[in-house]
Amino acid sequence: MSGGTSDAPTDLIEDYLDRLLVSLSGSPRQVRHTLAEVEAHLRDAEAEGIAAGLPEETAQVQALERIGPVHAVTGRPAGLVRPSAALLRRLTLTAALIGGAGFVAIGGAGLVGRLLQVLKGNLFMTTPFPPGTYTQADCARWLAGDPGTRSCVTAMLADHAFDYLLQATACGLLGLAGLAAYLFLRRRWSDRATATALPAGAAEGLGAILAGIAAVACFGQVVDLETVQRGIGVGEPLSLGIAAAVAAGAFAFALWHRLRTVRMRTT
Amino acid sequence: MDTGPPSYLVLLGVKAEKLKGHLDLLLLSVLSRGPGHGYEVITRLKVRSDGAFQLPEGTVYPALHRLEGAGLLASGWDVVAGRRRRIYHLTMAGEAALAEQAAQWQEFSGSMTRVLGAAVGPALATAGGMA
Repeated sequence: MSGGTSDAPTDLIEDYLDRLLVSLSGSPRQVRHTLAEVEAHLRDAEAEGIAAGLPEETAQVQALERIGPVHAVTGRPAGLVRPSAALLRRLTLTAALIGGAGFVAIGGAGLVGRLLQVLKGNLFMTTPFPPGTYTQADCARWLAGDPGTRSCVTAMLADHAFDYLLQATACGLLGLAGLAAYLFLRRRWSDRATATALPAGAAEGLGAILAGIAAVACFGQVVDLETVQRGIGVGEPLSLGIAAAVAAGAFAFALWHRLRTVRMRTT
Repeated sequence: MDTGPPSYLVLLGVKAEKLKGHLDLLLLSVLSRGPGHGYEVITRLKVRSDGAFQLPEGTVYPALHRLEGAGLLASGWDVVAGRRRRIYHLTMAGEAALAEQAAQWQEFSGSMTRVLGAAVGPALATAGGMA
């Protein structure tokens, strides 16, 4: 009998119990008890089949047919199964990875923006407020921040560009914290149930899609600003678009690598 | 919206809709003969119904847990035949619920039999005559 071979890859009952584990909700004790109960049931049914002369695998198939699908044991239709602890852990990891990488990409956009600022100036980086939409007090504040100029618009542009770079830097640091949290949690939640709660490469695939959409949106804005404003304020969306495109590429590469690893393991 | 009977009511030879809601009574009845674990309960159910009640066995567990949550069953863990098992038994409230539900069922089935007996008798006779 295969009751003790918990890691045997061909043990269909173990696979069923894995699926049941990630579908069960309730307190940890309720989950453990139900799992133990169902495992004893399946092993009994398997033993009955083997005693009747069936090969082990056939006896397992028969035992699984008799017990029915996982949602029969959980007592809820498959579509209404509440997220399990493993799924919540995996979703947290996914959010930490995508969020962390996204914020790091914004930090990277800040670096690109700083380069563009040096090369093309503040007017390329950011759009000034239209005349009449700001006050003398605003001007005084911007000029105080940029004592080297007497032009309110020039000081305003410098202030806006500085704000953009400052916010991008803050996002970058937040992203690094998110990625650190992701690495910490991934090590802590390294159990199989968490790893299999979502399809392999789900986080990388979602990250690639979101970053790709962000890149397209940013480059679309670049084209719009280039056409309508003749290049004024292009720097911000351009730097964000470049960072988003790099992030999309990195996620896509990670997805390809993940799927290739999975394929190699299964063949 | 009620879109149909739950899967546990798909019983061999018996239309599911007719048995809707009676699994609790069946489980209480089976456990009234003595404590048992899930697999044992299912086996007893099959034996006592002469194999008529073939249900996805997994559906028994949510029902057992629900009955335990309602205080009609209680459970404890024991090692039987080398395996750790959860053994269910009827509580006092479970015994009372079983008595009440069994009485209701017998009253219902008695009424059905009386009504059907009056109608089915001539129909059977006609069918026999035609054959």
